Amino acid sequence: MAQAQVPEYVRVVEELFSKYKEFIYVGKYIQRWDAVSKITGKALFTADFLKFYKDPVYVYTVRPKYAHAYIKSIDTTEAERYPGVIKVLTAKDIPGVNDVGYVIPDQPLLADKKVRYIADPIALIVAEDKYVAAEAAELVHVEYEPLPVITDPLEVVDLKTLKEKEHVRIHEERESDIISHFKIRKGDVEKAIKEADVVVENEYRTGMQEHAYLEPEAAIAIPEADGGVTIIASTQCPFDVRKAVARVLGVTQNKVRVIVPAIGGGFGGKEDVVNEIGAKAALAAYYTGRPAVVIHTREESMIGHSKRHPMVAWYRHAAKKDGTLLAVEANIVLDTGAYASLGPFVAWRAIVHSTGPYKVPNARVDTLAVYTNNVYAGAFRGFGNPQVTFAFELQMDALAEELGMDPVDLRLKNILREGDRTVHGQLLTKEHGVGLEETLKRAIEVIDWYRKRKEYSEFAEGTLRKGIGLALLWHGNSIGVEGADYSSATIIINRDGTVTFRTGLTDFGQGAVWGLVLIAAEILGVPPQLFRIEPPDTSSTPDAGPTVASRSTVMGGAATMNAAYKLRKRINELAANMLGCSPDEIVIRAPEKEDVKPSDVEVFCKSDPSKKVKWTDVVEQSFWDGVPLQEFGFFRAPKAEWDEETGQGAPYVTYTFGTMVAEVTVDIETGAVKVDRMVTAYDIGKVINRVGAELHAEGGAIQGLGYALMEEIVHDKNGVVRTYNLSNYYTPLIDDIPDEIIPIWVESGFKRGPFGAKGLGEPSIVAIAPAIVNAINHATKHRFTQIPLTPERIYLGLKRAGKIKL
Amino acid sequence: MAFDPSKSWDTYPDIEITLNVNGKNYKVKVKPYERLIDVLRYKLGFTGVKEGCGRGECGACVVLMDGELVPSCLVLAVRANGKKIITVEGLAPEGKLHAVQKAFLDTFAVQCGFCFPGFAIAIKHLLDKNPNPSEEEIKEALSGNLCRCGSYYRLIKAAKLASEYVRQGKIYFDVKR
Repeated sequence: MAQAQVPEYVRVVEELFSKYKEFIYVGKYIQRWDAVSKITGKALFTADFLKFYKDPVYVYTVRPKYAHAYIKSIDTTEAERYPGVIKVLTAKDIPGVNDVGYVIPDQPLLADKKVRYIADPIALIVAEDKYVAAEAAELVHVEYEPLPVITDPLEVVDLKTLKEKEHVRIHEERESDIISHFKIRKGDVEKAIKEADVVVENEYRTGMQEHAYLEPEAAIAIPEADGGVTIIASTQCPFDVRKAVARVLGVTQNKVRVIVPAIGGGFGGKEDVVNEIGAKAALAAYYTGRPAVVIHTREESMIGHSKRHPMVAWYRHAAKKDGTLLAVEANIVLDTGAYASLGPFVAWRAIVHSTGPYKVPNARVDTLAVYTNNVYAGAFRGFGNPQVTFAFELQMDALAEELGMDPVDLRLKNILREGDRTVHGQLLTKEHGVGLEETLKRAIEVIDWYRKRKEYSEFAEGTLRKGIGLALLWHGNSIGVEGADYSSATIIINRDGTVTFRTGLTDFGQGAVWGLVLIAAEILGVPPQLFRIEPPDTSSTPDAGPTVASRSTVMGGAATMNAAYKLRKRINELAANMLGCSPDEIVIRAPEKEDVKPSDVEVFCKSDPSKKVKWTDVVEQSFWDGVPLQEFGFFRAPKAEWDEETGQGAPYVTYTFGTMVAEVTVDIETGAVKVDRMVTAYDIGKVINRVGAELHAEGGAIQGLGYALMEEIVHDKNGVVRTYNLSNYYTPLIDDIPDEIIPIWVESGFKRGPFGAKGLGEPSIVAIAPAIVNAINHATKHRFTQIPLTPERIYLGLKRAGKIKL
Repeated sequence: MAFDPSKSWDTYPDIEITLNVNGKNYKVKVKPYERLIDVLRYKLGFTGVKEGCGRGECGACVVLMDGELVPSCLVLAVRANGKKIITVEGLAPEGKLHAVQKAFLDTFAVQCGFCFPGFAIAIKHLLDKNPNPSEEEIKEALSGNLCRCGSYYRLIKAAKLASEYVRQGKIYFDVKR
């Protein structure tokens, strides 16, 4: 791109990236803004607002008996007569459009013709009391015509031929139950395989993972005088909720206001389901004129919101004797369940990453997302990448074994470095920041890889075996071709010298918004303690795009930079006038103390620090001089390029890279696995929020450990969820964690990221499962290819292979 | 429940109970089926008590009832009649932090924060019984609390640090911000 075409907001980010070498706030340990309110129990989460609304109505969802059936009739009369019931709402009561589909309009808010999974909403009970509402749900009589239930995506599509099979259609209104088909076509795969010295092929399966954020979904809707509605909701994406609710109510978007209080975890799960429950609460408020509440129980949450797509994949890798990769072939099928949700986007992200962070000269990959009657799958931290990374990183270890090479050496032979092209033909330059090799080298050094790999191969103590394994990752930054990747932020300097920070990006624990404040503080010179982050509110905070795809720090940070840059420029000119030196010389600095006040901040000239004035005086002067101290910052990621037929182009603005290493001890008689130690080495360009980064390295690893070893939503053959609460869906507890997780940070610097930063939210889970399973395979000398790799699966796998006799 | 149209939904009798929450007595009318968590949260306003699962699996709602650690989602309000309840709001006087809370700050443990009230109460309960717990004892004491963001390492460190504070007689701290 010619220099003249680079937008001003990109130029600002590039300028600040090259200018800042030392930092006062960025990359430092600074307590997040809401820590005290959260540990004292004062922080308000959505359901907590109920203590202020004394006379709300409760909304309970009537769900079906069957996972797949036509609805012949719905009789609500008995439920309506139940004492305490105010109204029963069905599809015919929806004033606007009966649809909450995220990517494609395939998901009715209230089903009237057909149910497609076991929690498909049919009717809403609006009642004076939550117990009454749940009881009355039993009195809605629905006549069904049951249909055969499909829980296995391979009943819909053939994994070898990728052709749709004869099956009972789930979405007969569409041409096919295959909703997406993405392709990569590069070079001549058949020729490469013929010429290869080694070919390895395997089938891989990954489980359906549940977010299990600790706060179940909640929304409160308050009717407004103009026919609009205000919604308090636990959502990652307030502007998406606004759009969905406006559509369902049939009102314009400016009549729907969405406010986001504290959120108890999201991990991608609080995207589209909150559109659904927000709309349900809004409908009840519309019909009753009273505040209306939807709070999911844990059971409703687990059967009623999106999950991580299960994957079935067939992979074939071909290489030369020296380990050089010649070709990768793969058929990847993702089960998106009853509705598309974000499935098409997940499938796209999956295929982009499907061959791994390696030089792959020849490739043929097909990725399909198909409907089943399972709970729908959508966004979950990693978004398609953890699934394919599990497959290709186990393929790399299988290949290394066939070649008699060390897994590290095979990867060193093939990894992407500066100057290489990705499988899509995208050239990786210094501007992208390509620190993959450094993550690998530092990780294996700190863990003493070669020694342990050899020692553990021979380790056998009773029934205990030890293993060490690794996995590499790449993760595209920005949302690519999925949508317009814009972000924005507003900074307002108040007359007392404090700062108000507004963005539509949300915090659900990750702390990325605090990273934006650190960026603003760095540029303005005003310490982060003097900032107040306003809760996201569609009526006041600017639309910053959805809080997804590890984009808050990168895109939101770039927008924040723009706002802070413009403000700082004006303040420098004003202060230069007051002090009598040049604007470039203005320094704004605060003393290092926790309870810093605006009047403690000093503004002075670099060449003559005796020329100084208080920050509060500069702020006051700005009002007299007519220098506005409010500023809006915007950023839009460069457009992604993707050829639908070949998968060639430049899908992402840059990539986060990483190397994960795991050490495990396996009891081969019980199948029990203890993860002893992990190294997580990430190239995130630049660490902005150090506390947040470390917490992600730990939290992502723990959630990834769950994905690898224990977590799976299980449907029975009727599509009924058997793992519907935390008593039968297991997540890691405090005694499941590794003894230690060693974080390593590589700061390669991405020219168009804020101070060089790349995203970390999702990458932190992407390669954990393959690292752990590669270690288990090393320990057991067996090739397990499925997660979650539960004790049963390990025990049965070893028994069937004749490796244990019990 | 069988459908009986003659019955109005609120015909269950109100029962007046007395709860001592965080050192203060409250007389409150409850239904026989009402859970302690709902009374604490919605009738008395102690929303620091969080509901994560409704069946005693996640530990977000734990409170101290006469010194014992109980999930308030599994206790009927009437059974708490006359009992002394401590919630996260009662760990320290207004404007102060309890040693456990100070330790959460010192270890930079906070992420989404939804599990923290439960962890704070569980650690306080542990330290009341055992002011010098080993790492194994800490893990055992916190094994009923779920943190999905994965702050476990920090929570173990925080429990150790809090035990040091308590043993040094430092129970309450000023809030700096």
